[in-house]
Amino acid sequence: MKTKTIICAIVLLLGCANLLNSQELLDILKQEQKDSARYVTPAFKMTRIAFGHSTEVRAKGVLEFFTATRFWNFPGDRSESFVADKVTTRIALEYGITDRLSFGVGGTTFDGLFDGYLKYRLVSQGKGQKTNPFNITLFQGASYNSSSGSIYSNNASISSDRFAYTTQVLISRKFSKKFSFQVTPTFVHKSLGLNASDNKNFVAIGFGARYKIGPHMSLVSEYYRTLNPVESFDTFDPFAIGVNWEVGDILIQLMLTNTRNMVEDTFITQTRNNFNFKDPNLHFGFNATYVIHFNNKLKN
Amino acid sequence: MSRITIIFLFVCSVLSAQESKKLIARQGQVSFFSYTSVENIKAENNQVLSIIDFNNNSIAVSMLMNAFVFEKALMREHFNESYIESDIYPTATFEGDILDFDPNSKTIQTKIIKGVFEMHGQKEELEIKVKVANNNGVFSVSGSFETLVKSYDINIPPLLAGNIAKSIEVNFKFEYEPYEN
Repeated sequence: MKTKTIICAIVLLLGCANLLNSQELLDILKQEQKDSARYVTPAFKMTRIAFGHSTEVRAKGVLEFFTATRFWNFPGDRSESFVADKVTTRIALEYGITDRLSFGVGGTTFDGLFDGYLKYRLVSQGKGQKTNPFNITLFQGASYNSSSGSIYSNNASISSDRFAYTTQVLISRKFSKKFSFQVTPTFVHKSLGLNASDNKNFVAIGFGARYKIGPHMSLVSEYYRTLNPVESFDTFDPFAIGVNWEVGDILIQLMLTNTRNMVEDTFITQTRNNFNFKDPNLHFGFNATYVIHFNNKLKN
Repeated sequence: MSRITIIFLFVCSVLSAQESKKLIARQGQVSFFSYTSVENIKAENNQVLSIIDFNNNSIAVSMLMNAFVFEKALMREHFNESYIESDIYPTATFEGDILDFDPNSKTIQTKIIKGVFEMHGQKEELEIKVKVANNNGVFSVSGSFETLVKSYDINIPPLLAGNIAKSIEVNFKFEYEPYEN
């Protein structure tokens, strides 16, 4: 009797072992896959959060046709302009040389600013052990102010004063599926040319965040704090809140902001409006990016 | 007597465990296509894992969604972030049985695999016609099937409804080698 029960138990156990065997197949595969499952989707979809750069860099052979426009009104309610009193547009081409390095060149209509930049993705965020918890991208930009008017009329002869340089270390992390945050230590060398005693080197720190509100839509906000603003006239820290819409080859950003400048050195050092809803402080911003792929990844 | 039976059963079980012949494919190829009049989308993944257990002719497949490569780099980002949500659902898996399979046959057999495909958290029962070839002990399984996008609870914005086919064609090919535990 006892032996029979033991035999029964063993047969049952064997049966169970067999069952386990078939269920284990996926577990075996899971084990095999463990090491490669460290990918984290990018913290930002676009190369901009709102007005400033994000850690995102375009892949090799990707050309972006980037237009950014800001609209604002003059104070007073008798404005007769259609849509907005003033418009400025930056048109730029941005290209991925490698999967890590990209460059861009652009021009802005309002202040006659021509700019170019190089952007290099140093590390990408991964998950699991021995991976990097942050995305880090290096940014170096330069701009040339070609305008004859504005603040440069005083010393237009000194052409080196028309150049400005921006160095940034963009550090971001995707904290959850929906939330990404970026911190951006920034150094700007720029001569504002109004007063000889004004400082020419600026240190600023930027904060940017994205919160996804749908599969293709996200809320974004960005703020730059300038630690040593210029003293001969009033400047404010640029701020923006907006919605990014990311579908297919077209990426669209809508934002409310207090800066009409779209190049790093200008919006960090010479934003002359505070953020509020009074004209001419409130600017409506619209960025549209059209992405063209010249490199077929499948043919590599 | 009883001890002998137990020892006999034990030996049997050990033998059967040793005999449990498993084959694994580590570089399986899976590709999918979406054909519409607006746009053709193609993606390939060459690192798909698959395992076959000859004890009961069961088969399992597991693929990392982020390992799919698209023609357009940005499409891969959209695919992972907005459509397939690979942060939450990193893999797609298949688990099933090869019906009426004879591991010892040397000819190319056309068989049906019946099982459950899980992607984006949604399970779908599939019956897939496959070719199983045994080329001097190297097994390969290949085939294709079509599956409907709407089965997988994938959010497609109305604006792009015309760009993504309702039915996606999936092709696959696996070459197996013996699996050592």
